Amino acid sequence: MRSPWRWLLSVTFIASIPQAQASGWNMPVGVTDISRDIYGLHMTIFWVCVVIGVIVFGVMFYSLFRYRHSKGAKAAHFHEHTSVEVLWTAIPVVILIGMAVPATATLKNMYDTSQADLDIMITGQQWRWRYEYLGEDVAFTSNMSTPWEQIRGEEPRGEHYLLDVDEPLVLPINRKVRFLMTSDDVIHSWWVPELAVKQDTIPGFINENWVQINEPGIYRGQCAELCGVNHAFMPVVVHAVEEDEFEVWLAERKEAAEQEAMGIDREWELAELMERGEAVYRAICSSCHQPEGQGAPPAFPALANNEQLISDLDWHIDLVVNGVSGTAMPAFRSTLNPVEIAAVVTFTRNSWGNDTGDAVQPSTISGWIAQ
Amino acid sequence: MWSAIKSVLAALIGVQSDQQRRTDFSSGKPVVFIVVAIGVACIFVIMLAALASMAAR
Ligand code: HEC
Ligand SMILES: [Cu+2]
Repeated sequence: MRSPWRWLLSVTFIASIPQAQASGWNMPVGVTDISRDIYGLHMTIFWVCVVIGVIVFGVMFYSLFRYRHSKGAKAAHFHEHTSVEVLWTAIPVVILIGMAVPATATLKNMYDTSQADLDIMITGQQWRWRYEYLGEDVAFTSNMSTPWEQIRGEEPRGEHYLLDVDEPLVLPINRKVRFLMTSDDVIHSWWVPELAVKQDTIPGFINENWVQINEPGIYRGQCAELCGVNHAFMPVVVHAVEEDEFEVWLAERKEAAEQEAMGIDREWELAELMERGEAVYRAICSSCHQPEGQGAPPAFPALANNEQLISDLDWHIDLVVNGVSGTAMPAFRSTLNPVEIAAVVTFTRNSWGNDTGDAVQPSTISGWIAQ
Repeated sequence: MWSAIKSVLAALIGVQSDQQRRTDFSSGKPVVFIVVAIGVACIFVIMLAALASMAAR
């Protein structure tokens, strides 16, 4: 029993725990009250298990060693011992109930989505997230911004490889934010470890969750439900800011949304449309149709030098607005605005050797959507 | 009847003495045990449901 090995083992084990935490082996403590509760529960239950393990295996190894055959130990033959049996049933029951009470309290708290200060609709799409600030007229999609050159290994990887987006979800700290979560296509899962939220987004269902973040910062996560070839390329980035900073941001976004709405009615130059369209194409279309429009036949048709596309403008617009049902080609009528659709159609009609000179106007697209 | 209940409860948590088992098998009627066991199982489920709805409040 007094073997120095045992001491050494337990000391190194206990000493390694803070290290494990710092090196990312353990779950993060997180930045919400719930995430701290969960972390606390996890550590409590972990230590309960450690104590049980030490006692059970201690008794077992001690008995194995002390009553070994070579020392002439004889096995006892008895059939039952009711009081011991009752005891080893009762003790686990007490321990389980002791763990269940605080765990249930935390769960109840996690499910209490009432009285939120802000509602955000989160929609999973192959392969990006869409965020709508309900009642605020602010909505945008958040696409991974890690360059394809890094993914293909042609450039060294950045610091936040596969964990960067063009537009993060901006949230105020110290306010209860409710998430309404769904999906447009397959099941995704919105996961940010530091916020202790991992929630499936399921087409046709709306799941709820909430956060109240205590500290400003940038928190990163990923889609946690295998959702297709680009599953690894739909990260989540949450930007938690002070409340007044959030108000300023929201006002700016609303202003920008109004500007954009006005942009539908005016006449756009070809160059403007091309610039805008390239950004949209890179963010949305290139994952399937490839960066140079070369496609990946037979799954994803090429858009470069595509005869039908070049000759038939109406077909082209209709395809992007309404998608092709039964295929991976999504309808963009509700996920891109008319300016973006006009821009990306213009861009595809005038790139990689396609040379139609068409400058498709946003008003044409909004008319198309209204039909 | 009382001894049947005791046996069922003992079986529920997995402790039963060999001697009691012998008596049950030699003198008890199976149907009594089946009825008691179904009753106990129902009570157990109702208890769990009550506990869960209490916790959810
Ligand atoms: C999730 C993958 C995916 C994304 C993202 C996507 N497409 Fe497609 N696209 C497809 C598939 C698959 C087809 C073939 C549909 C079919 O079988 O008719 C297609 C077909 C097309 C076609 C018709 C080509 C042809 O010859 O049939 C055009 C034009 C097109 N897409 C434009 C776009 C544009 C513009 C975007 C971005 C706004 C985009 N697509 C985004 C998958 C995608
Ligand atoms: Cu996904």
